Amino acid sequence: MNDKKQFWILLGLLLASLTLLWYATAHLGHVSIP
Amino acid sequence: MKLARVNTVLLIAILLINGYVILLPLLPNLLYSRDKHSPKATAITKQTTTHSNNPPIAGDAEQLLIPSMVFDEKINEGRDISVLRQGLWRLPYSSTPDKGSNTVIVGHRFTYTNPQGTLYHLDKVRKGDPIAILWHGKKYQYSVTEIKEVKPNQVEVEAPTADSQLTIYTCTPLWNPKDRLVVVAKLEHIYER
Repeated sequence: MNDKKQFWILLGLLLASLTLLWYATAHLGHVSIP
Repeated sequence: MKLARVNTVLLIAILLINGYVILLPLLPNLLYSRDKHSPKATAITKQTTTHSNNPPIAGDAEQLLIPSMVFDEKINEGRDISVLRQGLWRLPYSSTPDKGSNTVIVGHRFTYTNPQGTLYHLDKVRKGDPIAILWHGKKYQYSVTEIKEVKPNQVEVEAPTADSQLTIYTCTPLWNPKDRLVVVAKLEHIYER
């Protein structure tokens, strides 16, 4: 695989990881008071 | 060649972010394994179960003690949900231990930001386990009578009760917190200092 293709794949994975981190920080474990 | 170096940096960033997301929720279990036979656990058990009111382990603040969780935390008061960022929160519209009825205390199960795992180990509590509250100089000793899971809209767990009881709840399950894990404990003794 050439470097350019690898770069775009890794960039996509980084964005997905950042989205996961945002979701986890914002939503996991929160108590919603009725 | 330069792009190859950028790719390496991206790969390291991906591994670090995912490692953080995956491993941080497991950290409270490691700390629990370390603490469950520690002097701290013995002190919490002793403070909770002795038939007297010893001076609080940590300061004079209102505290909740749960030996089965190796847990000893300040109970915070306040009007809105932002209090949960400090740890435990006694719901302001619920009772207090000295007034009888239903004292409701809630806390996050796990968060990536502070406080990371206030009631992380609530699922380790079993029927019959002792719980104590140090409240305005008195010790209120409870025994767990009921453990259940409810939907977030089942507000009846917060309703006033005829007997003095303590209701503690947090989110469940750990990874997909869509329900509430509720522990109900009945008052057994009150000890004056």
